[in-house]
Amino acid sequence: MTAIAGGDRAALAGLYRELERPVYRFILSKLNDPHESADILHDVFMEVWRSAGRFEGRSKVQTWVFGIAWRKVIDLRRKTGRLDMPGDPPDTADEGVDTEAAVLAGQEAVHVRHCLEELGDDHRMAVALAFYEDMPYGQIAEVAGVPEGTIKTRIYHAKKLLLRCLSGRVTRGVAT
Amino acid sequence: MTDRSDIEALLPFYANGTLSEAERAEVEAALRDDPALELELSALRAMRDTLQAEETRSPGEFGLARLMRSVEEEGRSRSSGRGLQPARLWRIAAVIAIAAFLAQSVFLLDRGGPGYELAGDGAGAVRVTFDPDATEAEIRAFLTELELEITGGPSALGLYDIMALDGEVSDEDMMALQASPLIETATRDD
Repeated sequence: MTAIAGGDRAALAGLYRELERPVYRFILSKLNDPHESADILHDVFMEVWRSAGRFEGRSKVQTWVFGIAWRKVIDLRRKTGRLDMPGDPPDTADEGVDTEAAVLAGQEAVHVRHCLEELGDDHRMAVALAFYEDMPYGQIAEVAGVPEGTIKTRIYHAKKLLLRCLSGRVTRGVAT
Repeated sequence: MTDRSDIEALLPFYANGTLSEAERAEVEAALRDDPALELELSALRAMRDTLQAEETRSPGEFGLARLMRSVEEEGRSRSSGRGLQPARLWRIAAVIAIAAFLAQSVFLLDRGGPGYELAGDGAGAVRVTFDPDATEAEIRAFLTELELEITGGPSALGLYDIMALDGEVSDEDMMALQASPLIETATRDD
């Protein structure tokens, strides 16, 4: 980051090559639009280039870059009126869930993608970073700028919603 | 949340292997006594494996070329001492976005036909055409290994500008480009 802050383009290219794919995948999982996601990815790395001098090293570089991406996604969704943050699911979310069916549906990309898209932005963000990037909850909390407990609560509810959705896909016989 | 829900909240992080030793032990103890929790863990692992197995086509080297052009453009406008008007910036952004889109499209389609000049100035660059069957991933790996990057193009003839990350392309790299099955033609842009 010091090299990037000093105007080293090769260092920026190196960071881009290291993080471009996971950051793009993270953005795409929120926007579901490859062209829009490519534009946001570009904006993220332009911001990295412009603000590298402000990186204080208090978090991992990866966390910092994902944090920029998350804020840009949220800004875009706010601007376009697409922000969706549904409330927590009812405590009865487990009722009628066939977990064995959810295990089966969890192996089908089309079901998993569908159920992920059903989640609100905050829930989906936490699941995407936990499952695509294998991030610990502490790091996800840093990316989102919220306490660790909030991420655990979001994951807890997201998990219930995902299992219910996946189980429903199988029991309703939705084709893959 | 109750104790069980605390464990449930940790379960996805048990599945992705990021819990501390103490948390892991806590989850494992709960799993031993609770077959339903074990089943939930299987579902979470299945989801994680499915998501990680998905192929994502990211902008790759084309995105990097677009980024480098924007960085250069920004540097030029700063060093010229006069800021660009917002409308002009918007137009540049639009041109860059279209160029990046065309880069991807033209790469995948036929690159023959009468040509135009490359969009970039290309000074000191090597001009190449890629083999039509070369994939973006292969090109990315090859250029990364040589520490080269795409800095311009494509023209309607499918010509791309290639430069070394630290400046001019060495003779050694030039030979590697010419010898690669991923590259159809490679010539210095004098």
